[in-house]
Amino acid sequence: MVEFALPKNSKISGGKTWPKPAGATETREFRVYRWNPDDGKNPSVDTYYVDTHDCGPMVLDGLIWIKNHVDPTLTFRRSCREGVCGSCAMNIDGQNTLACTKSMHDVGAGGAVKVNPLPHQPVVKDLVPDLTNFYAQYASIEPWLKTTTPTTAKGMEAEPRGPREARRSLRVHPVRLLLDLVPELLVEQRTLPRPRRLLQATRWVTDSRDEATGERLDNLEDPFRLYRCHTIMNCAKACPKGLNPSEAIAELKFKMVERQI
Amino acid sequence: MSGPSSMRTPLERVRGLGSAHTGTSDFWRQRLTAVAMTLLIVPVIVVVIMLIGRNHAGAAQILGSIPIAIILLLFIVASTWHMKIGMQVVIEDYIHNEKLKIASVMANNFFCVAVALASIYAILKLSSGV
Repeated sequence: MVEFALPKNSKISGGKTWPKPAGATETREFRVYRWNPDDGKNPSVDTYYVDTHDCGPMVLDGLIWIKNHVDPTLTFRRSCREGVCGSCAMNIDGQNTLACTKSMHDVGAGGAVKVNPLPHQPVVKDLVPDLTNFYAQYASIEPWLKTTTPTTAKGMEAEPRGPREARRSLRVHPVRLLLDLVPELLVEQRTLPRPRRLLQATRWVTDSRDEATGERLDNLEDPFRLYRCHTIMNCAKACPKGLNPSEAIAELKFKMVERQI
Repeated sequence: MSGPSSMRTPLERVRGLGSAHTGTSDFWRQRLTAVAMTLLIVPVIVVVIMLIGRNHAGAAQILGSIPIAIILLLFIVASTWHMKIGMQVVIEDYIHNEKLKIASVMANNFFCVAVALASIYAILKLSSGV
C-alpha cells in the first residue's frame, strides 16, 4: 500500500537560510531536511552554502563541512566513508543512496543538493532514521544456517558457487538504503518484504548446506511478502554495490512455482 | 509505530499474523493467462475485424463456427481472470483500510465474474443461432 500524503506533524514548513561562507570563491547550495524532536516544531529544510574549494567531492564531505564550519547541530550517521558500512544511507536528490559515494557533481546539474532522510522511516533527528523495523525484518528471515544433521568437527562443506552466487552471498550492509525504496512496499509495519530482506532470504534459500529451505519458502509465500514485489527494479537501480535484488526475488518466485507446479 | 501496537516488540510487528502460505497460485495464473492471451490475441483481432459492419445474422453465422466461438470463449476466460488478479493487486497496494479492502476485493470478484458470464452468454447465444 502506498501513502500519498505525509502525516500532519511530518509536513515540511519553512527553514533557515544560512549565510554564504565569507571569502569562498565557489559554493554549492545544500538543502537539508531538519527536524529536532525536542522543539515540538514540524520539520523544515535549511539552506546551506558549502565552500567547494575547502571540502571533498562527495555529498558526505559537504555535510561534514557544514557540521564543522556552519551548524554543529546538523545530525547524520556516517562511519567508513567508502561505501562499505552503509551508515550514511540517505535520500539525495530524490534517490536513496550513500552520501559517501555520491559525488556532488553528479547531483542536480549544478543546482541545490537536496538531502533528506530515508523515506518512510520514523526520523530520530535530522537525517537519522529509526532502523528498529529494519533490524526486526532482518531478524525475521532468520539469517543463520539451519540444519538437522549434526555437523562434524570438520564442519559442512558448501557446494562450490559461481561468481554470481558468491557475490550475492556477500553480506552487504549498504542495502539498508533499500528501505522503503519501492512504493509498493510502503505498507503497514507488519509483513513488509524489503528487497534487501528478500535478497538475504535468497542467500539462505540457495545455500547448499541449509536444510530449512522449505520452511524458509513457506515463510515468504504471502501476498504481502514475496508477492508484493512487482519487479519495478528500483532496488537494482539504487544498489551501490551493483547487486540485483530483483533477480534474487525472481529466483524465489521460480522456486515457489517449481515446488507447486 | 505509535498507538496501541507500540507495546508489541518490533519482531512481533514484522511477523504479524504470519505467512498466508498463498500467492503462488495467483502468480502462476497471472502468467498462465498472460501467455494464453498473447497466443489468442491475433485470432481474436481477426475475428473482430471479420465482424465489423456485419448485421446480427452475419455475426451469428461467423460465431456459429465452433473454432471461432471457442477462441473467443477462451479469450474471455483468460482476460477476465487476468483482469481479476491484476485489479486485486492494485487494490491491495492502494487501499489501506482492511474492511474497505475486503469489500473492494469482493466487488472486484463480482464485477469480473459478471463481465465473464455476460460475455460467455452472449457468445453462446449468438453461436447457437438463437
